Amino acid sequence: MKRLHTWSGLLTFTAFIVWGITGIHAVFLPAPGEWKPPEVSSTQEFPYEAPGSADDKELAKRIYAAAELKMSGGHYNVHRDDDQNLAFNVFTSNGPRNFTYFEDEKRVLVEFRDGGVAGFLSSMHTAHTRRGAPDFSARMYGVYNEFSTWAFLFMSLSGVYVWVATRPGMPWARILIGVTTVVTIIMWLAVR
Amino acid sequence: MFLWMRNTHLILGLAFFFFAIIFAVSSLVIIYRPWLPDARVDTEETIQIDAATATSPRSLALELMRNHDFAGDLRQVKEEDDLIKFQINRPGTHVNFEYVPGSSEVKLKTMRWGWTETFVQLHVNHGFHHDFLPASAWGALSLLGSIGLLLLGATGLYLWFVMNEDRAIGSVILVFGLVYGLTALIWSRMV
Repeated sequence: MKRLHTWSGLLTFTAFIVWGITGIHAVFLPAPGEWKPPEVSSTQEFPYEAPGSADDKELAKRIYAAAELKMSGGHYNVHRDDDQNLAFNVFTSNGPRNFTYFEDEKRVLVEFRDGGVAGFLSSMHTAHTRRGAPDFSARMYGVYNEFSTWAFLFMSLSGVYVWVATRPGMPWARILIGVTTVVTIIMWLAVR
Repeated sequence: MFLWMRNTHLILGLAFFFFAIIFAVSSLVIIYRPWLPDARVDTEETIQIDAATATSPRSLALELMRNHDFAGDLRQVKEEDDLIKFQINRPGTHVNFEYVPGSSEVKLKTMRWGWTETFVQLHVNHGFHHDFLPASAWGALSLLGSIGLLLLGATGLYLWFVMNEDRAIGSVILVFGLVYGLTALIWSRMV
């Protein structure tokens, strides 16, 4: 059991680091409603001719597909801007992308708003085998992250087992798990 | 040094044991949610209030918190033509309120989730900006738990290395995990 505990930790060490950084970063995220997107870091344009029969939602879907953005997790907030141009947003692990379609000029403007490394890790820590961008690298990390989640549960339980099996008589450890239990129960009751 | 690191590893593991269980289980709930039953229970009711206390959405919310035992963060305040809407949310329980200004009745819908979904809401509850003190306390626990996770990893790595057991196979496993995980991360960042 001790070996499995150690090997699990070694194998999932990268995920541990990502989770730890994400948890610390999350504390400093703005409160709901106060989030502001990163500044525009670069722009790209590509020509696109809208099919005459598509409505705004369908057109946004087609433009999104034509853009072939990497690490994207879908488009949302399809709307018209102040100049009546079709606009929508795309979430990617590397930051949001804002699309504007200038129909008269038959061109699409994409604004890239690259986020920081902490934001990227925060996004990646949510990946699993069925969630995340369809890119191969994201799927690869999703498999690792999901495996690491199971390993984390195993390590939590096996860690207690190893303690009880090897050093059960330590009074301070017994007191600590007792205090932890009481504090957790109080905090649980406080939110329930 | 070895004993100090071993005890530190044990202290961190025990101190954050329940935190680890909540975060591990909630992560699995998120992953396998489509296969899990929806344990949410919705109830609707109407309660009586003194209209004089409801001069604004915020004053009404405070009245409900002080005298009607509703607890949580005040969220989603909306004032429509003749209707005030807002929510009082805490992990595991969200209450939607509707109030017609001047009346003495408040309609409310309470959505209460089971323990698994409450774990998920505790998982995503972060920061110290909450109006509801226990939510900020859980935010503090998340911060401490995250720091503890990094220290658990570091002390665990140290213990494995100095104990001299399975250093060869351990090295292979560690390198495989690092190469696989970091390759996927860096590749995802670079595209």
